Amino acid sequence: MNKQSITQYYRKHRKAIVTATSGLLYGGGWGLGYLTSFERASTAILVLATIVGGYDIAKTAYHEVSNRTLGIKTLVTLAAIGAIVIGEYWEAAAVVFLFSLGSYLEGRTMRKTRTALQELLEMTPDTATVRRDGELQEVPAREVEEGEVVIVKPGGKIPVDGEVVDGESAVNQAPVTGESAPVHKADGDEVYAGTVNQEGALEIRTTGAGADTTLERIIRRVEEAQEAQSPTESLIDRFAKYYTPAVIVLAIGAYAVTQNAILSLTLLVIGCPGALVIGPPVSIVSAIGNAARSGVLMKGGEHLERAGKIDLVAFDKTGTLTKGETTVADVEGFGVAGDEVLSLAATAEKKSEHHLADAIVDAARERPTAATDGGATVAQADDTDAGRHSIPDPDDFDVVAGKGVIAHTDAHEVVVGNRALLDDRDIDVPSQVADYVREREERGETVVHVVRDGDIIGAIALRDELREAAPGVVAALQDAGIETVMLTGDNERTAAAVAEEVGIDEYRAELLPEDKQSVIEAYQADGQVVAMVGDGINDAPSLATADVGIAMGAAGTDTAIETADMALMADDLERIPYAVKLSKATRWNVLENVGLAVLTVTVLLAGVLTSYVTLASGMLVHEASVLLVILNGMRLLRY
Amino acid sequence: MSDTTQFRVLDFDCPTCASTVERALSNVDGVQHVEVHYATGRVEIEYDDSAVDPDAFAQTIESQGYTPQHA
Repeated sequence: MNKQSITQYYRKHRKAIVTATSGLLYGGGWGLGYLTSFERASTAILVLATIVGGYDIAKTAYHEVSNRTLGIKTLVTLAAIGAIVIGEYWEAAAVVFLFSLGSYLEGRTMRKTRTALQELLEMTPDTATVRRDGELQEVPAREVEEGEVVIVKPGGKIPVDGEVVDGESAVNQAPVTGESAPVHKADGDEVYAGTVNQEGALEIRTTGAGADTTLERIIRRVEEAQEAQSPTESLIDRFAKYYTPAVIVLAIGAYAVTQNAILSLTLLVIGCPGALVIGPPVSIVSAIGNAARSGVLMKGGEHLERAGKIDLVAFDKTGTLTKGETTVADVEGFGVAGDEVLSLAATAEKKSEHHLADAIVDAARERPTAATDGGATVAQADDTDAGRHSIPDPDDFDVVAGKGVIAHTDAHEVVVGNRALLDDRDIDVPSQVADYVREREERGETVVHVVRDGDIIGAIALRDELREAAPGVVAALQDAGIETVMLTGDNERTAAAVAEEVGIDEYRAELLPEDKQSVIEAYQADGQVVAMVGDGINDAPSLATADVGIAMGAAGTDTAIETADMALMADDLERIPYAVKLSKATRWNVLENVGLAVLTVTVLLAGVLTSYVTLASGMLVHEASVLLVILNGMRLLRY
Repeated sequence: MSDTTQFRVLDFDCPTCASTVERALSNVDGVQHVEVHYATGRVEIEYDDSAVDPDAFAQTIESQGYTPQHA
């Protein structure tokens, strides 16, 4: 080892070396005094131990004083000097050594919490292969311009955010969305920097690079969340401002009354509310960090503490409990062929943007070309619209919000809508139709009637499949003692059927978007802490009304990340019980830490005032309590 | 012109240590705004780049007994 590397080694491990040296000297000095009668030698070694261990502490104490902050290092320095002055060398060396050891261990463990997120950033490769002037070039990932095409080999990490323009592959998106299963990517699909291309080569047109990627935004967001003080933290900070000066006044007062220097110095040592101020931030930072690695963004400690109190979770039905991919399940004609019903409905709905309309139009386009040819496909490989029906435009068209559409085509008036729209227009519903509708609705499907010139000619049943995870998620929440509610615009019967299928406690049907907000407000008025799960865009108002708004599938939609209290990066419903349980665990963890800290301070104060606790034992308990709250908080990193 | 720089200090061992560094940095001439976060170890400094050389910040942090890393 040459001189330079020794210096480097010393610099890097200074704290450990200083602590170990001071510990060895302390042990040696104590042993010498205990075993032999070399009093002077023992004293000299103990003073040396104090100086070696105390130099850095005193230096920081000097900075604390000159910057007018009152920290534990100032108190420890005063206590150590005081102990030497009154001849308690053993106490002085012990205090300094125990404090160094404690803060060394605290620094090390905190480093782990602080670097937990950095590991995510290191997932992004430093360089990218781009096509420039027809040639492949290796450039720093930060310098890739928007619109440039990046090539990623199988097994390579994706260096930028972008859109696939060529190739097909499975991409592991765990760093961004927390999903463990790889996601299939092909032309037009969005990919994120930091994710891993597992199978085929991909060409990606860059939409964001460097600091402008989803992963970077997530990390910035998470750090802001970790730094935002929770209500408990600000309360403690306010308390801490008065606690330390109060203890110093107490120490001076105690000396004036008792003339007991050890007692006053010990008060100084425990005068820093260590575990109390350190505990809650460690719990919250660990929890937010853990959540981020599992694809759940939490907005901050305040929201996390509130989420820990959730006793009701409301789910939007469409796109949350269900896949949000509505398809036509059945078409029934009443005196007319089913095909005709479908194509008429498609024409009427063509200009509507409702998701039911989209499903009807798609079904009409994709339906078998000719019912007579047994479903054989006509080979017209060069035409992408092969076998697809074109849908004529309606002559005119009106949307009746929440009810359906009224259109004119070929001199006919066509009404496509629910029972409410039929009632509005005094259209008679024959029992045959009502029976069909009831039967389909009891299966959880939504039915629209198709009316031509005042007569019902058919009905279309639409289905939105449940997510496979939905029943398990609802059950997991119920197991955790949380009430579950489904909110939907669907009719009563459909809602009841879906609610039963998912096993949810309660449902509210036939809700208009603004009704969802009032439902949530009503639960809140009952004193419940309500979380609302939705897609973050259509459900934005109810997410904002709820105590905790949880947005699903937030990767790529910045508004959802910005507005929701919790954002699930993937469309993964299973993260909800995890997030709710993590919040509850965090709330408990914070309480445990506060409780432990208050207990320690109380016991220490009582011990000091009754002279059971002296400098060294006071310091030992103080440092042990700090380490304990840090380790307890860090359990949340592995939750 | 106002500019911003960031450091990461991984070895803060108590919340007061972070406030001490925050005070020390805000006493450097040309510094307009400082944020030091104990929990994440993130240091953000907004400064007037005609009045101060950003190299001074790392030195200030070191002189307080902590190790700054460029973020």
